[in-house]
Amino acid sequence: MAAAVGRVLRLGGRWSTAAGGPGAQTLRLIYTTTAVQRKNVGASGPEKYTEAFIKKQIEEFNLGKRHLANMMGEDPETFTQEDIDRAIAYLFPSGLFDKQARPMMKHPSEIFPEQTKIQWGEDGRPFHFLFYTGKQSYYSLMHETYEKLLSVQKYQDQMTAQDLPPQKEKRNLAGSRWLTKIELEEMLLEKLSDNDYLRFIQLLQKLMTLPCGDMEEKYIQKFTKEVPAQLQKVVIEPLKYDERGVAFSTGEGIRKTAKATATVYDNGTGKITVNGIDILHYFPVLQDREQLLFPFQFLDRVGKHDMICTVSGGGRSAQAGAIRLASAKALRSFVTEKEVEFMRQAGLLTTDPRVKERKKPGQEGARRKFTWKKR
Amino acid sequence: MAAPSAAGLRRRLQAWLPRLTQVRWSRYNPSFLEPEVNKELYQKPLEELSEEEKEKLELKAVQPIKAAPPSVSSSVFSDPMISKFTNMMMKDGNKVLARSLMAQTLEAIKRKQLEKYHKAPEDEKEAIECNPYVIFHQALKNCQPIIGLSSITKGGKTYQVPVPLKDNRKRFLAMKWLITECRENKNRRTLMPEKLSQELLQAFNNEGPIIKKKHVLHKMAEANRAYAHFRWW
Repeated sequence: MAAAVGRVLRLGGRWSTAAGGPGAQTLRLIYTTTAVQRKNVGASGPEKYTEAFIKKQIEEFNLGKRHLANMMGEDPETFTQEDIDRAIAYLFPSGLFDKQARPMMKHPSEIFPEQTKIQWGEDGRPFHFLFYTGKQSYYSLMHETYEKLLSVQKYQDQMTAQDLPPQKEKRNLAGSRWLTKIELEEMLLEKLSDNDYLRFIQLLQKLMTLPCGDMEEKYIQKFTKEVPAQLQKVVIEPLKYDERGVAFSTGEGIRKTAKATATVYDNGTGKITVNGIDILHYFPVLQDREQLLFPFQFLDRVGKHDMICTVSGGGRSAQAGAIRLASAKALRSFVTEKEVEFMRQAGLLTTDPRVKERKKPGQEGARRKFTWKKR
Repeated sequence: MAAPSAAGLRRRLQAWLPRLTQVRWSRYNPSFLEPEVNKELYQKPLEELSEEEKEKLELKAVQPIKAAPPSVSSSVFSDPMISKFTNMMMKDGNKVLARSLMAQTLEAIKRKQLEKYHKAPEDEKEAIECNPYVIFHQALKNCQPIIGLSSITKGGKTYQVPVPLKDNRKRFLAMKWLITECRENKNRRTLMPEKLSQELLQAFNNEGPIIKKKHVLHKMAEANRAYAHFRWW
């Protein structure tokens, strides 16, 4: 890129055809460089907040919280963050799409990112011996983990020297996961690259797979997170009974723009009604009817339930998908927990997140570009 | 008239170019797994499962699963191979028409086989296969080439190098040949199901133009055996 850029300025005056006398001003070329034009952004990096500043922000936040509680007529002592959010949304309604762009009032620790303090003393000497690597916390962590690995190996060698068998306890791997790269970055307060993260996880896995790795259980647990079983997140409603004494259950489903509600009745003959119309007339296509019967067929309950559903929006396939989801959700109440887990693994209980992709400017559709013309 | 400064233009161009975004992305989080629709796998009692399968089950219990697509169902009539073939036959997204053509093809195969069955003498009756799904699968298997050709440019000249094919590629080629054969080499009056059923039955008996095409490809690969060392993978 050329550093020098010419900027042509015409200083006043008119073109004079006659030979320029002392008074005639025509063109004067002034050269400027981009370096000068660019704003002088110093190499200070991101803004550093002093501790005093953060403290002041916290005080202001707490004071503001009490004022807000007073304004809303609530008790300042028991004013939680949710109440604050509701109050702000009421006082400053915003139609902006991005939640982060709307007015918010949160504790300063959530707004101002955590930063590392100054890493060197008054004489300019850094405190940590790995400061000049650039990623001191990451490398110190790697050193620590490797030391633990070596100590475990030494212990293992001692055990084999004494002819004692190595302890092998099988740890349940399914319930926990490693920290993600972002979580690790938050822990270390440093940026990591993908390779760095992978190396660290590999080291941890090596430590875990060693026979005597159980010694370092506590250390490894610092870098794992519990993953609860997917099923426990959802609450299955109990069966309801209508006037005739027949058990029934309701469910709702969404697919693309179609919304459906389904009520599944027990002791039925397998009749399915959609918006008051029989499915044979409402869904003339075989594929849609197959989708409606999918949950029943999966649970071997094809002729045992009656279903009445309402659906609106979307196209024919989207409506069928919405009813399928609604009926699967309703059937959860009739069925054992194991079968609910099987339904989930068959993909019957997940809302399909696929929606129509938006059209972008400069293109004809979501992906299709305009016809390329050479000239 | 001041010309726009080149610096301003460059800045404007830089601002307009989007940052690197993924092209092949999905609405699902990458941690979501594919759903398993086959009912039999779930009906196996816990004792029969091996250690590996038990571990897999445990892992699956903690991972989210994608929604089953609308073309897939747990009934005996939905077959992944047939769905793939129907999608390849589909034109302009007209799945209804493609599915009906497929159904008519399978019906036509069944009718022809039943005719043969009733006309055949007693001892040959058992040898005649009447299940259209079995015929479809066997025919496709017979049409799959084992080895394919790949164009490799070396020293300015392009050579056709024999190359082993992956399973997906074999299946794709078999289906593609079947469909192109039926679309192009048929009389204007015959309908697609009629022609398709004819081709499938011929392929089932290892005869017909598609099997011939497969043999031609094998022969070409055999002829170009000398260039096999050009392959580096």
